[in-house]
Amino acid sequence: MDPKQEAIKELLIKMADDQLIIGHRHSEWIGLGPILEEDIALASIAQDKVGQSYTLFQLLHDQFGTADPDTMGFLRAENEYRCCHLVEYPNGEYDFSLIRHFLFDHAEYHRFDMLQASTFEPIRGIARKFKSEIKYHILHADVWVRRLGTGTEESHQRMQAALETAFPLALGIFEPSPYEQVLIEENFFPGEDALRQRWLETIQPILEEASLQMPDPSSVEPAYGGRRGYHTEHLAPLLEEMSWTLRYDPEAERW
Amino acid sequence: MYGGGYIPGSASPQEAPKEDPEKLAEFEEKINRGEKIEPHDWMPYEYRRQLIRMIEQHAHSEIIGALPEGTWITRAPGFKRKLALMAKVQDEVGHAQLLYSAAETLGKSREQMINDLLSGKSKYSNVFNYPAKTWADAAIIAWLVDAGAIINQTTNSKGSYGPYCRALERICWEESFHLRYGYDTVVALATGTKKQRQMVQDALNRWWRPIMHFFGPPDKISVHTEKLVRWKVKLATNDEMRQQFLNMYVPKIRELGLEIPDPILHKDPETGKWIYSDPDWDEFFRVINGNGPCNKERLAVRKKAEMMGQWVRRALRNPRQQYVTPLA
Amino acid sequence: MSDFIQSLDPRIVRLQVREDQPFEPKEAGDQWETYEVFHQAKTGARLIHVGSLHAPSPDLALVFAKEQYGRRSTTTDMWVVRTADIFTLHRQDIDMFETAQEKLHREPQGYMEVRKYIEEFKKRQQQEGTSDGSEAGSH
Repeated sequence: MDPKQEAIKELLIKMADDQLIIGHRHSEWIGLGPILEEDIALASIAQDKVGQSYTLFQLLHDQFGTADPDTMGFLRAENEYRCCHLVEYPNGEYDFSLIRHFLFDHAEYHRFDMLQASTFEPIRGIARKFKSEIKYHILHADVWVRRLGTGTEESHQRMQAALETAFPLALGIFEPSPYEQVLIEENFFPGEDALRQRWLETIQPILEEASLQMPDPSSVEPAYGGRRGYHTEHLAPLLEEMSWTLRYDPEAERW
Repeated sequence: MYGGGYIPGSASPQEAPKEDPEKLAEFEEKINRGEKIEPHDWMPYEYRRQLIRMIEQHAHSEIIGALPEGTWITRAPGFKRKLALMAKVQDEVGHAQLLYSAAETLGKSREQMINDLLSGKSKYSNVFNYPAKTWADAAIIAWLVDAGAIINQTTNSKGSYGPYCRALERICWEESFHLRYGYDTVVALATGTKKQRQMVQDALNRWWRPIMHFFGPPDKISVHTEKLVRWKVKLATNDEMRQQFLNMYVPKIRELGLEIPDPILHKDPETGKWIYSDPDWDEFFRVINGNGPCNKERLAVRKKAEMMGQWVRRALRNPRQQYVTPLA
Repeated sequence: MSDFIQSLDPRIVRLQVREDQPFEPKEAGDQWETYEVFHQAKTGARLIHVGSLHAPSPDLALVFAKEQYGRRSTTTDMWVVRTADIFTLHRQDIDMFETAQEKLHREPQGYMEVRKYIEEFKKRQQQEGTSDGSEAGSH
């Protein structure tokens, strides 16, 4: 296939995989959150993520003839997924879930902001619509991170510890694609480095307001591998669970 | 989401104070005229007590009801079902939020209500003490339990307490999405492969009895309070609601070629009433009293969730915060 | 550890819940304080009170309100206000809105007879006009 097409396809697949897997993780909190009102808020964010993933898989199907969204999202082999390690980790407690949501969504916001100017025309309108949903996601994340970072001694320590765990994983979001040069030259997407820069500039002041110490990115080993199909031990069981019903009867045409 | 269904009365009703006959007459006239009672209006002690009990148990049923269906959130088949189930369970949590708020207007705090749920003092709908073994169980719950809930809630939304009616109005509206979603999911299975049909038939077999229990014991053995009818707290009897359910749903179930696990179920052509086998009311009372297949799990999970959220809630507490009951 | 509940829900299995899960009863204030929510469904419409919620601060109240009261309807504006900051009458004083007598002087119905006066006036004019005419003719 044309390397330009491959480049876009690869970009869209990793975005769709990230959205689906983090949405799936968020959905595990439904009915079990810290207070009813927050339960509802996070459940909406989870739906937005899974819904965005669906839209991207549909776009892939229409533009590049990939399999239908359910097959792509639920039934590929583990090493065909291109999500980053950050989204694969189990929820743990609310501290990790929130910090992950914070780190991930700021990157997403900038990614779609950049894609609004892409020369790959079909993504532009989608990016604009996604951005308005993600605007709420980052508002939600920022309020929580600020409040918990400056809440009690316990909440501060938990958030700091969660940040230290999640930060190297979050740097894995920006693992360069084999098509980085093509994406940049063709003005499809300004590239992971540019995104990472904007992301760092955004999150640093918020973390400061939250009294949280951001690890020095230059001294942290980023968790790479996900974009090439090498995943943590958490992804395979997640996929097995997620596809359980679909695989229960492969003959079924409709569920 | 789930209109409480039948939940037993509290075991030890406290002594109600002697009511001022003039105020009582004025209160009853107001209800007679079809007006609503609002939070800070004068109301008899017994009216307040019964409403708190009823609305709070309805709220508990929503939050506990999120668990059996939540069982299938991470295994829903495909994007469309995954999104819909997330939205549905989210709605149930949202309904709990609305109902707790309505009960709070009567003067019981949400903290007290959750404490009473978790100590076992306050009950929730019995139907949620059964497990959702397969995807088809979640489908049957979404269709038929929600159908029962709509009958119950639509009835209650004509009651006399303003905040409860308003909450139910919104709840019924969202419930209609659940019912459609549930029906669509059951139809997909029932019109699908042999394996899918078997799955949904098995689920129907498991859920039929709890659904028959859902509206509560037959009128002849359940306690009537004429006063609650007069005050528009109770608006239809258990048997009336059960008959309505059977009328609406037996034909729909049979149309799908599913077999209802009750060999004698039929409509008496003379009375127009459904005749059904005794659904074992002893089992119903056994489960209500804590001995159902999932009672212990449901409460333990709620306790775990509350305890996991404790540090989060504490961290955000403002020392100057001032709780007042919601206004309306 | 075999005493964790073997739930059918894989999420619950991961949470490792015991049947005798300890629970500290909630103290007052655990669920924070209450806010009232106002919603506008389209531009030009009034903001309408749609319900209440629990939140620890106005910013989170708005974050929560957006989903609890805005997720299923179109929304063009939303307000939250602490319930404690709302000033209202005691319920027993609501009867002060009842008026002792008809207040026709400030109701449209108090001014329904103009047509009658105009018609009477016109009639009179006509009669007078006729006599005027005959007088003019007698000049």
